[in-house]
Order: sequence, then structure tokens, then C-alpha cells
Amino acid sequence: MRIIRELIIKEFLQIRRDKRMLPIIFTLPILQIIILGYAATLDIKNIGLLICDLDKSYMSREFVSQFVTSGHFTLWGDVENPKQIDTHLDRSEVTLAIIIPRDFSKNILLGRQADIALLADGADANTANISLSYAVQIISRYSKNILIKNSIGPSILTPTISAEPRVWFNPDLRSANFMVPGVIALVLLIITMTLTSVAIVREKEIGTLEQLLVTPIKPSQLIIGKITPYVVIGFIDTALVLSIAVTWFDIPIKGSVILLFGLSALFILTTLGLGILISTISRTQQQAMMTAQFFVFFPFIFLSGFTFPIDNMPWIIQQVTYLIPLRYFLEIIRGLVLKGAGLEILWIQSLALFLFGVVILSVSIFRFKKILK
Amino acid sequence: METNFTSDTQSAIRVTNLSKHFDDFVAADDINFEVSAGEIFGFLGPNGAGKSTTIKMLCGLIKPTTGYAFVGGYNVEQKPEKVKEIIGYMSQKFSLYEDLSVEENINFFGGVYGLRDQHLIERKKWILKMAELMGREKTLTRDLAGGWKQRLAIGCAILHKPKIVFLDEPTAGVDPISRRNFWDLIYSLAEDGITIFVTTHYLDEAEHCHRIGLIMNGKIKAIGSPTLLKNNLRAFEIYEVHCNQPIEAMELLTQQSWVKETSMFGMAIHISTSSGIERRQTIKQTLESSGIQINRIDLITPSLEDVFIHYTTESVGSG
Amino acid sequence: MSLSFNILPIVQKEFRQIRRDVRGLLLLLLMPAFLLIMVGYALNFDVKHISLGICNEDKSQASTRFIESFKHSEYFNISKYIDNRRDIDELLEEGKILAAIIIPNDFSDKIYSGREGVVQIIIDGANANTAATALGHIKSAVQNYSTKILTHELTKQGIIFTIPVNPQARLWYNPELKSSRFLIPGLFGMILMLVAVVSTSLSIVREKEQGTMEQIMVSPLKSHEIIIGKTIPYLLISLIATTFVLIMSAVMFDVKIEGSIFLFYLATILFLLGALGQGLLISTFAKTQSVAFIVSVLSSLLPTFLLSGFIFPVKNMPWLLQVITHIIPAKYYLVAVRSVMVKGVEITAFWEQLVFLLIFCSLILGISTARMHKDISR
Repeated sequence: MRIIRELIIKEFLQIRRDKRMLPIIFTLPILQIIILGYAATLDIKNIGLLICDLDKSYMSREFVSQFVTSGHFTLWGDVENPKQIDTHLDRSEVTLAIIIPRDFSKNILLGRQADIALLADGADANTANISLSYAVQIISRYSKNILIKNSIGPSILTPTISAEPRVWFNPDLRSANFMVPGVIALVLLIITMTLTSVAIVREKEIGTLEQLLVTPIKPSQLIIGKITPYVVIGFIDTALVLSIAVTWFDIPIKGSVILLFGLSALFILTTLGLGILISTISRTQQQAMMTAQFFVFFPFIFLSGFTFPIDNMPWIIQQVTYLIPLRYFLEIIRGLVLKGAGLEILWIQSLALFLFGVVILSVSIFRFKKILK
Repeated sequence: METNFTSDTQSAIRVTNLSKHFDDFVAADDINFEVSAGEIFGFLGPNGAGKSTTIKMLCGLIKPTTGYAFVGGYNVEQKPEKVKEIIGYMSQKFSLYEDLSVEENINFFGGVYGLRDQHLIERKKWILKMAELMGREKTLTRDLAGGWKQRLAIGCAILHKPKIVFLDEPTAGVDPISRRNFWDLIYSLAEDGITIFVTTHYLDEAEHCHRIGLIMNGKIKAIGSPTLLKNNLRAFEIYEVHCNQPIEAMELLTQQSWVKETSMFGMAIHISTSSGIERRQTIKQTLESSGIQINRIDLITPSLEDVFIHYTTESVGSG
Repeated sequence: MSLSFNILPIVQKEFRQIRRDVRGLLLLLLMPAFLLIMVGYALNFDVKHISLGICNEDKSQASTRFIESFKHSEYFNISKYIDNRRDIDELLEEGKILAAIIIPNDFSDKIYSGREGVVQIIIDGANANTAATALGHIKSAVQNYSTKILTHELTKQGIIFTIPVNPQARLWYNPELKSSRFLIPGLFGMILMLVAVVSTSLSIVREKEQGTMEQIMVSPLKSHEIIIGKTIPYLLISLIATTFVLIMSAVMFDVKIEGSIFLFYLATILFLLGALGQGLLISTFAKTQSVAFIVSVLSSLLPTFLLSGFIFPVKNMPWLLQVITHIIPAKYYLVAVRSVMVKGVEITAFWEQLVFLLIFCSLILGISTARMHKDISR
């Protein structure tokens, strides 16, 4: 116990003295939460709209105003000639252009069908898709209202159906609510995996590991002494990120905070295991960081559902995501924070995380001990 | 057989048929020697001869391919934890934490070796005094000059009063005065009954050792006190020649059939010949006939450098 | 700016070292391929097969027909029929369904009496983007069905009519709306930035650490010659990596350069020079390789990933962040590359982007040359 204590004190002294460490430990999480909370937003608002109104009637102007008042679109400008639309789409100035034909109002008044051309910039598939779906909804509502107005009569029935949506867990549909809890996972990954592996490899590089190995320190004591400081820092950072999420981003934590920390500990088993594993295959700090970055970080970020929903991935890739422990932790953390889910719902993910943690940690400790001998 | 014994109380270090292979490369090849308690044992050899490999096997840092080593009476492979309690180790890299202060380094290693309270304070005082670091306890190790860093490193390695101290090239890159002080320290440790096992490639340092093992290409070439090794060379006569054209003289002498080896020592030439026949006159005639002016010719006792060169050329010749 | 042939040895030396460092070279060439496959296959925003829960409290012919309309769409999967609307809570919490549609018991009465039947949609908003897209699909489906029963009813009552407005949508540049066409050009920016900034800064700082930089500094080479000698190899390697990814994206994802290949490489070289300059600049103040690595990754990857419009549209960011994006070269490179690759438009549509890239790369190369010059003369 005393030896472990000495190792922990030594590690903390080194962390405190390293000028690079403090920014990584405290500034980076704050920076991440702010950037991911604000920048990583896929919310589609203020879609740039270009109008080419050839009809120039009261009716066409009223039609255009339907788009503006919907709140989804911002009128970017209008052009006289449909040929001018090309340039604006080419230059990505607008997402959607609407051409209202010359006989628009005439056709409607005569009870004939008026065609409206919608030109969307499909380069950004997601924005184009959502913009078009908004536009088509606005048009068909407009169309339906005219139809009902024209069909008014004492005995005429005009049945319709309307949808009354209610959004749960995130009523304002803010991306931040989705992204910010994920930052906790990201920060834990960086602190407990990257920093642990670098801290071990640094001792290898400067030769102090060899010095420790000729002392009576046991490998298990060495590992515990080495990782405990980073676990502590990881938990402090989790608390830091959580408090920013609550106070700054107004994200209420619906589930149990104690459970959140408990399940974070399960995730830390995995990250520490990976950190130790990386340290056994890297000779220099640089190699350790590269390995962590490219072989753990990228797959974890892309394949865990961190930003991109797993449900949308091809079947085979969806199977691969089951091998990414971060996937389970994200499900846990989002379920707990946003939905208030408890262990009765999250037990499967927790079990998976626990199994991953135990396997990875044992393999890495086994390898580490083998290298020490 | 001796392998069955887990302890051996006879000597501080005993090495039997120790070998280490790295893939095809043989770093240590069937090494045998013994070091008794309180002895300063020097391991002398050129870079890459297998010194560090051997010292690492003795400290339990790497496993031997074959053979076994007893340190402080314990078989290193079977009782590494016992061995670690009684040894101190310092490598050529001064493996201290550069970002910890002098005192923090001492506290840490003290804690690791289980020193506590009064005992730790005493040892700390002793080390600070020994390393002349009184008043600089709060200085970061990275800001210390080479000599102080080295003494702090050895201080941390002997904090727990080990019975046996392993020093791997301890004075590499240290100035001559610090080296001098360092050897004074080693002597005082040996006087206290501590066994010192030191590797070096400095010949003058090897002279300070009680006994030397000469290692080359992973093999022990010779073992014994410096005097004994020098005397072993008595099969040869060594002449030191001072003349006005040493380079020409050396070329000329090398061609003579009765000359075994020639080498330059500063401005002088050392010539070794087989013993028994007085060659002073022959050397004089050979050189003067080519118009080289001789200042002095002396028959000298071989130095360790002569020993070293003798074994180096021998192994080059045989290899 | 005069160049002597002295830079040749530096270039040769650099290539030899790159070739010897097998692990590094593999990383430089395999990383892009790895990222491409992952981004190309794993990342897309298309929301399909939304798992729906249906709570039919009305249990009438009208409501059953309404539900039928959700069955034959690739957008929806009815995964649960719910008897009690109180069960919806748990299903959403467990993530078994993304949305639930509640048909209240007055639904058919209202329809038959010609009034408006209101259905409730409850959606899991945790992932805002998925929720918004899914909600859009559900609303569209409800509206389509609404139009259908209205026209059906009017026809039944013998009223002659036409649908007044008929929208005809045309999608430009990417008619199938494939996410990969949008994301892959952005990937070029990220890969190039990573390879160029990280490898240049590391290679110079490594020389500093080993002391060989001092050796080069004391040679008669001028600072700009040293810089050119050090950057040419990485420029070439990055261009090779680019071409490699270009071929792969054409073969695997059918994303090709629609416009001029010349313009693509022009934009790429300008962007690369800026990235190499950034690597040089980092190397002038980083003392160790690990510092150089952290600074390189943070200063190149993070802005390129988050603030360039690679995934997250710049237009939707808060004002302050939008201002910051103006100094991110990757933002300009992305607009240029998407214009050339996806839209296939002429230089007139995006020349400003190239001008900015030119300004950025001359500025950063100038500053790093000056800083390195100071290092030498000190």
C-alpha cells in the first residue's frame, strides 16, 4: 500500500509540474464541450431560398410568404430569369430555388393545376433532403387549403388529418443535448487512455522504468500506482463536464448521477486497458500518441454513434460497431442523462461494457507483466 | 548440481555458464565468474561487448537464455524479489525523474524501498551531504549539472543500504573532477563492506578496481586483479620508444618479424615482443639505419591499456 | 529568391529517411484509405427504416387504413403495436422505437363527419438531427394520406377538382442524394491536413532533437532553401496520398471529379502548401516531438473536422463560431473541392476560395521562413 501511495504522489507531482498537462486536463474538456456543443450542430435552420417569380401576382407573393413564415427558410433574394439560378446554386449561396411559372395564379383561379419547380443543391445531401421535405410540406398544405376553400358548400365534407408532434427528451431538438453528454465519453477516453499510455511510455523512454524494475515494486503495484492518478483526474473531468452541461447548456441530468459515475468506472476499465496495451506496443511517446489517435480514436468516434447514427449504417458495419466499447457507453450516458433511464434498462450495455473492460484490461496487464519480465 | 540450490552464501555474485541470445546475436556467451563480498569488481570492455546485457541479467531485468546467476546468495531467476531488496542499480542514463526536485526523488525512491520516518530522514541527510546537495533540496533534477545528477542518482540507488551495487557505465559524460570524487565514494562504500559491480570502458577507472573481468564479443577474455592481468602479459616484453619520427618508426617496426604488436601512446611507441631476448639494441639498429633519431628506449611494465589492446587485437585476429 | 542545387541533398536525405521508416510510411499511405472506407460507409445522415410504435385507440376502418399507409414505405418500420399509451414511455426510454403515433378514439368520428382528425406523434428527440428528419418524414406521410382521403371524399361527393399546386423537385449535382458525395471531398481536406502538418512538424522537430538540424543550419544553405528542401518530399507524398484516395473513391464510392482535374490539383497544392507551412511554423516553437504532435493534431484536425463545414454546416453555427471559420483554410478548400468534384463548375464559381488559399499559404510560409531565419541567425 505504501509503495502504491509513493507512486501516486510521484505521478501527481510530475503532472503538476508538466506545463502541457494542465491545459490538457482542464482546458481541453471545456474547449471540447463548447465546440461540440455549438459547432457540431446539424440543426437545419435558415435555409437559403432563392425565388424566381415569373407570375408576379398577389397570389404568388402570398405563396412565397408561406415559406418565410414557416421559420425554416430565409429569403436570400430573387432573380428575374431562371437562367440566373445556376450561378447562385453553383456558388452555394442558396440551398433551394423556387420557380413560379408565369401562369401560376391564372391556373389556380381557373381550377387547373399549377406546376412549381423546386431546384435543390444536392451536394449536401442531408440539408437538401430536409429542405425539400419542408418545402413539399408547405406546398401541399397550401394546396390543400385552396382545395378546401374552393370546395366549401353546405353539404360538402372535407375530412383531413393533421399531425400533432410532441418531442420527448429534447423538446427543442437541440443538437447540443445529443453531443454534450458524448463529450464526457470523449474526455474520459483522452485522459485515461492517452495520458496513461504516454505516462508509461515516457518512463520507458527516459529509463526510469528500468530503475523501478530493480526495486522491490511488484508489477501490479506499478500498474495501480501509475493509473490511479489518471482515473482520479478522469472523474474530476467528468464532474467538470457535467456541471458545464447543466449550468451552461441547460441540459438537465434526468437519471442518477451516482449511477453515471459508477457506469463511467466500467468504461474506464476499457480505456485503461487500451492505454496499457498501447504502452506495451510503443517505444516512444510519439508512437503511443499516434497509435491511440489512429487505431483507437478514429474508429471509436466514427463507429460508436458519437455523431453518426448507427441505425443508418450498412448492416455489416453495424455488426462492427458491437465491437466498439464506446458504443455501449454512449448509449448508457445518453439514456441516463437525456431519458433518465436506470439500470433496469441499461443493464445490457453495462454488462457488455463490463465484459469488454475485464477482457481488455486482463490482456493488457498480462502483456505488460510479460514485458516487465 | 548447483542449480538445485536457491541460495549460496559463499560469494556476493556467482555466475555460471550465463548466456544471452537475441535472435541470432549472442550478447553474452557462456560467462563464468565470482565476486566476493566487499569487492570492487570492474567489468571492462569496448562498447557492445556485452557489459550491459550481463549487468541486466544480474539485476533480473532480462532473463538469461541459459545458465544462472546468484546475487547475494539468491538465484536471480527464482527469487527476483529477494534480490531486488538487497541490490542497488544505477544505469548510464541517470534514471531519475528530471521533473521532480532533489528531495522528491529521494522521498520517492525511499518510499519504494520501504524507508520511513526517522530512517528516511537520516538517509536523506546522508545522501544530501554525500552528493553535496545540502540547501538544494528544492532544485529540479533537470537543472543539476552532470556531476551532481550522477551523485544524486547513486544516492538514490544506495538509499536502502544495499549489499551489492551495480553501476552500469556510471561515469559516462562526467567531468574528471567529479569522476575522481565518485571513485572516492565507491571506495568508502567498499570499506563499509558493500560489493560494487561496475562496468566501464575507461581504463584508468579499471585500475581502481580490486578485480577486473575483461569482456569482448560476449566472452570473458581474462579475469583477475589489474596487477595479475598485467603480469600475465609478461610472456611479452614491452618497450617504449621515444623518437623524432614516431609514425615512420611504427611503420618500420610493424614489418619486423620479431615484433608482435605496436601501438601509439601519446608521442611514444609501445612495441611488444616475445620475452626472453633483449631487443633494445635491435630496435635501435633498425630505426637508426633508416635515419630515425632515438631519444629513449625503455623496457616497461605493461599498463592496462596494453592488456586491453593485446586482447582486442587477439580477438580481432581470431574473429 | 535564388535556389542553389544545395537543396537536392536535403530532398534526397528526406526521401531516404521516409523510405526507411516503414511504420511511418505505411501510416501515411494506409491511414487515408482507412479513413476513406470508414467515412464512406459508416457516415451518412439518411434516415430510413424509422422504427414506429402504433397506438390505435380508435380501432376503426379509417384508422386501420391510415396505419396501412405507413406499411409500404422504406422510411418506416412498424415495430410495435401498443395497447396502452402509457407504455410508450418505456419503449422510447429503452430505444425500442424512435417514434410513436397515437390515433385517438375520436379519429374516425371526425373523419366521417368531414372535420380534421388529429393524430399525436411522440418522438425521441435525443438525437436532434435524426428526430428532425424522422419527424419530417412522418409529417409528410400524414399529409399525403390527408390529401388522399380529401380527394377521395370530394370525388365520392361528385365534385370535380384538381390539386391546385404540384411541386416538381429537381436535385442538382447529386440526384440520388448520397451522403458520400458530400463527405468524401471533405475527407480530402482532413487527410491532407493531417498528413502534411503532422509529418512536416515531426520531421523537423526530430532533427532538432537529434541535433542534426544544427548541422544543417551551420551549412551555407539559406533558410528558404532548407524549407523548400524539407517540404518538397512531403508535398509529393501528400499528392500521392491524394491521388490514391481519389482513385479509391472513384472505384469504391463512384465519387469522381466532375469538373477539371487541373483545378482540383491546383486547389490541393495551394491548400497543401499552407498545411506544410503550418507544420513548419509549429516546428519553430515546439521543442519535442510529443509537443509537436499534440499541437499539430489539435491545430489541424480539430478545426478541419469541426469548423470547416466537413460535416456540420457552417451556416448553422452561432455567429462567433462562424467568424472563426473564416480563418480556417480547410473551409475554403472544401468549398473549392466540392465545387470541382461534386458540382463540376467552372473556376468563376469559386475563384475567391483559391485566392484565399493563396493568401493563407504565402502568409504562413512567409512567417515560418522568417521565424526559421531568426533561429539560424541567432
